[in-house]
Amino acid sequence: MRKIIDNVIEAVIFMCGILSIVFVVLIFGFLFKEGFSFFKDFGIIKFITGQFWYPTSDTASFGILPLIIGSVLVTVGACIIAVPIGIMSALYISEIVPKGVRDVLKSLVELMAAIPSIVIGFVGMVTLVPFVRTLFDIPTGLTAFSGSIMLAFMAMPTIVTISEDAIRSVPWQYKEGALALGATEWQTMRRIVLKAAMPGIIAAIMLGIGRVIGETMAVMMITGNSARIPHSIFEPVRTMTAVIASEMGETVSGGIHYRALFAIALVLFIVTFIVNFIADLFLGKNKNK
Amino acid sequence: MVDKIKVKDLSCYYNKKCVLESLSINIAQNEILSIIGPANSGKTTFLRTLNRMNDLDVTYSRTGKVYLVGDNIFDMNMENLRKRIGMLFAMPIPLPVSIYENIIYAPKRLGLISKKSEQDAIVEQALKDASLWNEVKDRLSSSAMKLSGGQQQRLCIARILAINPEVILFDEPCSGLDPISTAKVEESMIELKQRYTIVLVTNNVKQASRVSSRTAFFLMGKLVEIDKTDRLFVSPKEKRTEDYITGRFG
Repeated sequence: MRKIIDNVIEAVIFMCGILSIVFVVLIFGFLFKEGFSFFKDFGIIKFITGQFWYPTSDTASFGILPLIIGSVLVTVGACIIAVPIGIMSALYISEIVPKGVRDVLKSLVELMAAIPSIVIGFVGMVTLVPFVRTLFDIPTGLTAFSGSIMLAFMAMPTIVTISEDAIRSVPWQYKEGALALGATEWQTMRRIVLKAAMPGIIAAIMLGIGRVIGETMAVMMITGNSARIPHSIFEPVRTMTAVIASEMGETVSGGIHYRALFAIALVLFIVTFIVNFIADLFLGKNKNK
Repeated sequence: MVDKIKVKDLSCYYNKKCVLESLSINIAQNEILSIIGPANSGKTTFLRTLNRMNDLDVTYSRTGKVYLVGDNIFDMNMENLRKRIGMLFAMPIPLPVSIYENIIYAPKRLGLISKKSEQDAIVEQALKDASLWNEVKDRLSSSAMKLSGGQQQRLCIARILAINPEVILFDEPCSGLDPISTAKVEESMIELKQRYTIVLVTNNVKQASRVSSRTAFFLMGKLVEIDKTDRLFVSPKEKRTEDYITGRFG
C-alpha cells in the first residue's frame, strides 16, 4: 500500500514538473505555426527589414524594423539608467549600510518589484511625460526617453535584489584578505567583491533586460506609439509588445494581420529566450564555483 | 634586541565583554613570537588588533596603546598600517584571479610598482621567498583556486611578501594543512625570520616549540607567561602553562 502511495505521489510530482515544460513547448509551437504561415505569405526578410508597419492599408506592409528599433532603443536606454544605479545600490545595501537599515531597504526594493506596470505607466504619464516635454522643449513628452526612464524603474528591483544576493555571497574572507593587504574599502569592493560577484551581477542584468523587453503596459502609455523609425531618443516609438497588445483586438482571426502579430510574438519570444538563457548560463557558473 | 612592537595595557572587548585584559608585551625585531592557549584565550583577538582587522567589527572596542617602532598604530592610517603589518589567515584565501594577479594585486594598489618588468621581478622574488616558485612558475596565469591547500597558503605568504611588510601575523596558518605542507610553511617561516618580525598564533603547541624564539601563553584573556621557547617548554614557571603544554587541559 505504502509503495502505491509512493508511486502515485511520485507521478503527481513528475506531472507538475513536466507541465511547465509542456506549456513552454506548446506556446512555442503555437507561435511558430501562426508565425511560419505568415512568413510563407509575406517573407521573413521583408518582415524583419521592412521599414513600414501599415497593417491595415490597401497594400498592407508588415515591416517590423521600426518596432525592433523602438524596442531596442527603449531597452538599451533603460539599461543605461538601471544597470549602474542598480549595481551601486546593491553594493550600498550589501556592503555599506548598517544591518537594520539594510533589511528595510531590501524589502522596499522588493516591494518596488510588486508595483503593477500599469501603475508605473500611469504615474509616468502624469508626472514624467509633461516634465520631459518642458525640460527638453519638444512637441511631446511621449518619447523613447521617457519610456526608458520608467522601464529602468521596473528593471531596477530585479537587478538590485539579484546582484545584492550575488555580492553578499562573496565569502567574507576575500574582503578580509584584500583589506589585510592594505587595500582600501573601495578598492576591495571594486576589484575583489564586484569581480567575484560578476557572474551573478550579469545574470541580474540579463533578467532585468528580460523584464524590460517583455514589458507592455507601461511602454504603451508612455512611448507615444508611433511606428516610425525614430531619429533620436526624444521621439515617440512603438515597441513590439505594444503593437501586439493594441492591435490584436482589431484583427480578423486567421487573417494576415493576425498572423503577423503572432510572427512578432515569435520574434519577441526568441529574444527573451536568448536573454534568459544567457542569464541562466551565468547563474549556473556562479553556483559551480 | 630592538623592540618592534610595544603593547601597553591593551584591553579588548566585544559587546562590552572583555576578551583580552590589560595586556603588555614587547615583540622584538626578527623574532618569531608564538602565542599559544586554548580557545577563547584572546590570542586571535590580539593578532587582529595588531593590524586593526577588528576595526571592521562594530561590536569591538579597545583601550590601551600599541606602538610600531614609535608610532601608535591606532593613530595610523589603516591602509598604511596594513602595508607594514601583513596578515596570514587560517584559511588560505587566494583572490579569485590568477596566481600572478594575486601577488601583483597589492603592490599595484599601493602604487609600489610602475613598470611591467618590475612586476615580473616582484612576482618571481615573492614566490621564491615563499618557496612556491618551482611548483608554479610554468602556470602563473592559471587560476589560484586550482592550487592545493598548502600551495594556496604559501601563495598567500608570497602575496604578503610582495608588499614587503615589517611584521607578518600568522593566524593558525597550518590548521587546515597536512603535515608535509605544514613543514613547508614552517620552513619558509624560519627563512623569513631573517628579514621580518613574525607573530604566530597557533593551536599546535609542537609547532610553537619548533619555530618560535619566544612563546607566550594566553588563558582567558590574560597573558599567563612569556619566555624563551626552550625555557618555557622545559621549565615553565606557572603550573597552568605546564598543564597546557603537556596536554592536561585545553
